[in-house]
Amino acid sequence: MEERERQFVLKEFSGYYRHAKVEVPSVEQREFGIGGFDRKIEARHMAFESDAALQNYLIHDTPVYISHSVAYYKFPKATPMENKGWMGGDLIFDLDVHGGLFLSKEEQEKVRHDAIRLVEDFLLLDFGVKKEHIRTVFSGNRGYHIHVKDPAYRMLEGDARREISDYISGKGLDYTKFFSDPNEDKWKRYGPKESDWGYRGRFCRTAAKVLEEDPASIHRRLKKPEEAALLREGMRTGLWSKTSISDIVERMNVVAKGMPVQCIDVDTGVTIDTKRLIRVPNTLHGSTGLIAKELKSLDNFEPYRDAMAFGNEPAKIEALQEIPAQEFLSSTMEKMQNGEKRDAPLPYAMYLILKGAAKLS
Amino acid sequence: MEFSFSSKYPFTSEAKQKVEGSSLELNDEMMERAVQRVVTALKGKAEAPLEHGDERGTPYHIHPSDELLELGSYAAARMMLAHLRNRFLINKFAVAEAKRASSFMGKDSEENLRKLGDELGINPQEFEGKLALPVYQYASFSPRSIDYRLIFRNVKNGFVEVTRHEVIRLMEEAVKGKMESYKPLQNPPQIIRDYSQKLMVLVPKETVLKMSFKEGDNPPCIEKLLEGAKAHQNLNHQARLVLAIYLLARNVPVEKVQAIFSNLPDYEDRKTKYQLDHIIKRGYSMPSCATMLSYGLCVADCRIGSPIRWKGKVEPWKKGKGSSS
Repeated sequence: MEERERQFVLKEFSGYYRHAKVEVPSVEQREFGIGGFDRKIEARHMAFESDAALQNYLIHDTPVYISHSVAYYKFPKATPMENKGWMGGDLIFDLDVHGGLFLSKEEQEKVRHDAIRLVEDFLLLDFGVKKEHIRTVFSGNRGYHIHVKDPAYRMLEGDARREISDYISGKGLDYTKFFSDPNEDKWKRYGPKESDWGYRGRFCRTAAKVLEEDPASIHRRLKKPEEAALLREGMRTGLWSKTSISDIVERMNVVAKGMPVQCIDVDTGVTIDTKRLIRVPNTLHGSTGLIAKELKSLDNFEPYRDAMAFGNEPAKIEALQEIPAQEFLSSTMEKMQNGEKRDAPLPYAMYLILKGAAKLS
Repeated sequence: MEFSFSSKYPFTSEAKQKVEGSSLELNDEMMERAVQRVVTALKGKAEAPLEHGDERGTPYHIHPSDELLELGSYAAARMMLAHLRNRFLINKFAVAEAKRASSFMGKDSEENLRKLGDELGINPQEFEGKLALPVYQYASFSPRSIDYRLIFRNVKNGFVEVTRHEVIRLMEEAVKGKMESYKPLQNPPQIIRDYSQKLMVLVPKETVLKMSFKEGDNPPCIEKLLEGAKAHQNLNHQARLVLAIYLLARNVPVEKVQAIFSNLPDYEDRKTKYQLDHIIKRGYSMPSCATMLSYGLCVADCRIGSPIRWKGKVEPWKKGKGSSS
């Protein structure tokens, strides 16, 4: 990016911070890191004593990226890391989807639905986290950051965080482990019950649904109501061997495959790193110019409509590559050829410039 | 007279207060016993408390003054280990003391278990009619074995269903963790220095872990296990099995594999040899990456299918990011 564009970006970013409300819980205990046009983190071990001091910095020394530690420290500025005095850290989940210059509607929806399921199915139901301890934030680019501030989870070390992350992403889930070992007693296979908690219950409830809607996909004999009833009884009581289908556990593979549990794509590396820096909510993402916006609700959120930092005044740009037509700001931005010049609304112009797809003309 | 809570669990604050509140001073008798305690741990056993009368009779009868000697010897052993800062000794001692405590927990009263749980940060409670632990406590202390992986457990509303036996197993892990951390001991008393020297004479020369591998020769999961072995960490059953199968498949001689395992705090020569022979005889094959994942041993996304297919490079997508996108 040329100097002219850099100046333009920084001026607009600074303008945004004059009006934005950036608040970091326990700001004085966080380490901060800033990034420029070349790297997301160029300097770290910074600290601010208050939100006002942070805001002042953002206005006058505007960085392209700014992140804060998930951790709370006694001495956030101290180096090396061991001297900071770690006092625990939020539990963070980073959901991302990979795509091209823009995220397609499907990609946007997939990652949004994953974030909803992560919060509602896992954090609220399985982990019992209270709503007020969850901060849901659009990452400013391709996904969502979920900050869990529940003090109960604060002191967890990396390995324990990995267990939680693996649980949520379904990593290593092998449904046959829900069943008793056939070598113990092959006539009596015990398995999950509908009333079970967590994945066991989820598996069983999904199996019951498949049995009701498409029994033949498990085994053709299950088309007979009396055979299906035996299996149904097994799911209720946990004794699966009542049915005459001897390989019923293996047959359940079809249920496991259809179970929508393994699609939450959590970046484990982020969750397990207790010294990680994560984008400060409500600051700007230096690769898009979109707000890493804290969301009250994930319902109906659309990043290319609802995370805008700037007004719609036009900016003259020149495309540096072919740019496909794109829904942005609730209207369709037309396709641009390489070298084509046009007036574009400021947020869209900023997005293309920061992505390296356009320059000021 | 039954064992007191403090004698069973000398690492608790109650035990510490008893020692501090007494006029107990480090003396030769106590130090001899402390040395004996560490040496017994090295043999893979936990030191039984001092008994009156015969050497190994049960039930134990402890005179109050013996109880203090018992607690004092524990404290003295810890001081020697803090002074020596020998990871091998520390981890051996941690495993032995954790097993010793666990052997008492199984037979102990609910009241004592609750008291111990409070001390260790493990508080089982009833949730929906089942014995359960808060998830954060469970995840912090569960052994890294497939049976304890959170993903296979019943989890609801912040609780994990557990059995009494599992609670005790977690408490054992918590004790071990507590035993593994030491504050550096500044200016130890002369008697601690003297007996530490005596102790080191009794300790078999530590096996130095020498591998023919260079860093990067093995996939990240195996490197992590090797690092664990080097640091004398206690690897779980699956981790040991995987490491043994891998090393044997890479044509590392059995003696060398055995030498690597001798670094583990609960190493037993005969048992290890038997198990290695068993692996060779049965021709166990290397678990796939998917199996490693379900064992909880996978640490990277190498995309190679099986650890044995490692070609010695870290793909760029696995390199850490400074900050997330």
